Amino acid sequence: MAEAQTTYDSLVAALKALTQGESPNTVTLPVAENIWLTRPDAESYGVVSQDFEAGAIRAENVKQDEAFEGSFDLFSLAKDGAGWIPLIRNTLTTYCGGCWSLNSHVYERDTRLFHWEWTFQTEG
Amino acid sequence: MPYELKVDGMKEISEALDKLADGATKAASAALYEGAGIMADEIRKGADSIRTEPFQYTMNGKRLPSPEEKEIVMKASAGIAKFNKNGTEIDTSVGFRNAGYAELAGKQVPIPLIVNSINSGTSFMPKQPFVRQAAAKAAPKAMKAMIEKIETALDVHLKEINKI
Repeated sequence: MAEAQTTYDSLVAALKALTQGESPNTVTLPVAENIWLTRPDAESYGVVSQDFEAGAIRAENVKQDEAFEGSFDLFSLAKDGAGWIPLIRNTLTTYCGGCWSLNSHVYERDTRLFHWEWTFQTEG
Repeated sequence: MPYELKVDGMKEISEALDKLADGATKAASAALYEGAGIMADEIRKGADSIRTEPFQYTMNGKRLPSPEEKEIVMKASAGIAKFNKNGTEIDTSVGFRNAGYAELAGKQVPIPLIVNSINSGTSFMPKQPFVRQAAAKAAPKAMKAMIEKIETALDVHLKEINKI
């Protein structure tokens, strides 16, 4: 159980660091810890969300196992994500090879932003 | 002169095996339906918990779904797709994929699009991952119910076969 949380915390930290580090196209992705607080004006930006914790509960109200779920959202005016997609995928794969997937990829007509959403889940 | 090998009862054994295979498929389908039902119920509960905001102004660049959007999602409710049989495997999905269209602000909008914008969020709306959350919550419950259903169904079926 503790291992799942450690992996999860490391991945979240790496994703946050990724968005604040050197970028391939000199674009810095501002990170919103809490998605309520920020509406960055950058051409591309990322949001790390720690969505929820789930687990089966035994009759005596003790959790049998635990799963930590989170997501990473990339919003970009560029159709190819301005070079961010391989970096995000690499980070996800490095920390948990099979625990992530691209959950959604849509185009927001109102804002002309492309939106990718990757979800990841670590289980204990 | 060739020897003749005669085994009595092969017809009955063959019939029993056919029935066993048939019964296993039926038990699996019944269990899958049970599990999918639990999943759909949990998604409906999740939809009920969507936070809304009646006025469409943005605060810090974000807005919540309107009560009308929530009502559309609630009315659509998660459906169970047609069962797909592939050899010995049977699968289905629970969701809003075939939920159709709804009228929103005078426009016909695909319901899956509304669900996705609430579940995954947008650049101007925070995500409320009620579908993923419901799936994670319902999975252990659904698995337990499915195992129980299979065990009961197979038990009944084996008793029927024993009568042959």
